[in-house]
Amino acid sequence: MAVQSRTATMRERTGGKRMIKIDPQAWDVMVAHAEAKFPNECCGAMIGKIDGTEKQVTSAEPMENAYAGEQGARYELRPEDLLEADRRARAAGLDLIGIFHSHPDCDAYFSKTDLENSCPWYSFVVLSVKGGKFDHAASFLPNPDQTAAEKEELIWPKS
Amino acid sequence: MAKILIPTPLRQYTDKQDSVELTGASVGEVLGALTTKFPDLRKQLFNDEGKLRSFVNVYLNDEDIRYLKKDATPVAASDTLSIVPSIAGGSGDPPVSLSNDEILRYSRHLIMPEVGMEGQLRLKSASVLLVGTGGLGAPLGMYLAAAGVGRIGLVDYDVVDFTNLHRQVIHGTKDVGRKKLDSASDTIADINPNVKIDRHDVLLTSENAMEICANYDLIIDGTDNFPTRYLVNDVSVLLKKPNVYGSIFRFEGQATVFAFPGGPCYRCLYPEPPPPGLVPSCAEGGVLGILPGVIGLIQATEAVKLILGVGETLVGRLVLYDALAMRFRELKLRRNPECPVCGDHPTITKPIDYEQFCGLPRHGGPAVAQASAGDIDPVDVKKMMDHGDKFLLLDVREPHEYLICSIAGAKLIPLGEIEKRVNELDTATEIVAHCKSGVRSAKAVDKLKALGFRKVRNMKGGIIAWSDKVDPSVPKY
Repeated sequence: MAVQSRTATMRERTGGKRMIKIDPQAWDVMVAHAEAKFPNECCGAMIGKIDGTEKQVTSAEPMENAYAGEQGARYELRPEDLLEADRRARAAGLDLIGIFHSHPDCDAYFSKTDLENSCPWYSFVVLSVKGGKFDHAASFLPNPDQTAAEKEELIWPKS
Repeated sequence: MAKILIPTPLRQYTDKQDSVELTGASVGEVLGALTTKFPDLRKQLFNDEGKLRSFVNVYLNDEDIRYLKKDATPVAASDTLSIVPSIAGGSGDPPVSLSNDEILRYSRHLIMPEVGMEGQLRLKSASVLLVGTGGLGAPLGMYLAAAGVGRIGLVDYDVVDFTNLHRQVIHGTKDVGRKKLDSASDTIADINPNVKIDRHDVLLTSENAMEICANYDLIIDGTDNFPTRYLVNDVSVLLKKPNVYGSIFRFEGQATVFAFPGGPCYRCLYPEPPPPGLVPSCAEGGVLGILPGVIGLIQATEAVKLILGVGETLVGRLVLYDALAMRFRELKLRRNPECPVCGDHPTITKPIDYEQFCGLPRHGGPAVAQASAGDIDPVDVKKMMDHGDKFLLLDVREPHEYLICSIAGAKLIPLGEIEKRVNELDTATEIVAHCKSGVRSAKAVDKLKALGFRKVRNMKGGIIAWSDKVDPSVPKY
């Protein structure tokens, strides 16, 4: 009925502060993809390394938005595409650590739709694109039941 | 030995291994072996019912096992299993938050840990449908709005009337003659402008109820008639939405929560409606003006608890309130496995014709009791009087009603005393019976006919119609 799960969020609040840092070349790919797909939502995978509570994104892979309907406010990733990205990352000695998507002409919040169709294993970076230009971004960590998401500190190269 | 590739975030449960080799003849067996070896992984992949979580896909080499033989898909030693999540999303449904003004408004909620910020956001995210904005709907609408329920749907097609004002406190004297939807919306917006109000200017029917109710988390029954009550119940069960029920009559009321998963529904309690006319409505039997305040607020309390997910709700318990004795009693209710709508083998799978089910004609048609009698219009009764016709005007109301108003020359014999006092009447004299609105006098006509009277007729619309059509100096009540 409602969006919050108190036990999960309370547990998460007491956990250590987590952060995700995005390297310039990966960031450029993400922003370019988000702006190119405007006014539709874009999506893709983030590859990199995890060190304790810190994640570093070294490359980003744009993916096709596979959502069958109007894509202005929806996206869907093909599991096959993710499987491929995971294989390539493994081959390079790296990990699939996050998913990114854009919110055209909306802020970078984690919507109910985002939450309910997410998965608790990855960081979810949302890029707000306004009028075709990147505006701001945020990263979220969904809980195991997908009833709440914790905000994760996001560091991107400011131009 | 088949190989299972472990996604990065799950390696904390597999001693940091990025792949694990396990034996098993099928996908189900291999996954079983995996979670036996690494028990902490179980919760990540499976839900409480032991099924793979909705976002978890398992691939055998390059193929999704859902398109193979699922758990029974055979696994060879050279095969590789991958765990891949389904991921989607979109910017619709932005998350709710409270403005500084709202934080101040709800501060007495926010400082209680049982509500707190999370509870208040739940209230703001919640949507509630009030069926009726009358006696029960009035306190419900006002308090749920004040408490911060985000979206309230109102269903009413009626107009405010003077007789509503002694209990329907959401409407004021200035609102008489206005649509109840308009005056209720104005009151709610004044109490809390943050509430989104959906206006449904219709009678809830079998045709529109599913569509209207589907847009809400909770359905609250504030109706006063059996067809709508059964309709609200069935639709709530069919849509799997809790139905917060309340009813009032004279000095007594009832409240409970129906159609909660696993709990009983209205049909488990009352499989059949009462015969038409047996249970008087508030318009016929009266109601203590304060009573709907008590029952409506019990319903509002249950609604808030259901939204917050706190406390012990009235699921499976019927609260009976007696205002005169000032006593609350409680009855245990159980879901009936034979129930035609919420039972194990339901036979009702969509809304039915509830007027027919309750033995009534379609809405707007004449009442059954009146149709059975020989009717006469008050205007024609007046003509008979003016003409000097010899007939007896028989008032079958109660003595305390007679004291409110009466028609000159009428003889008072309350409906319940007709058999006992029948010797006071003459079968040779023409009789016209009347009551307040024409329902009881129709029964009186039937009784007299059964006792051998031939020349009896029912004054249509009762003393109310008399006041409207013949003599406005007679007060309506």
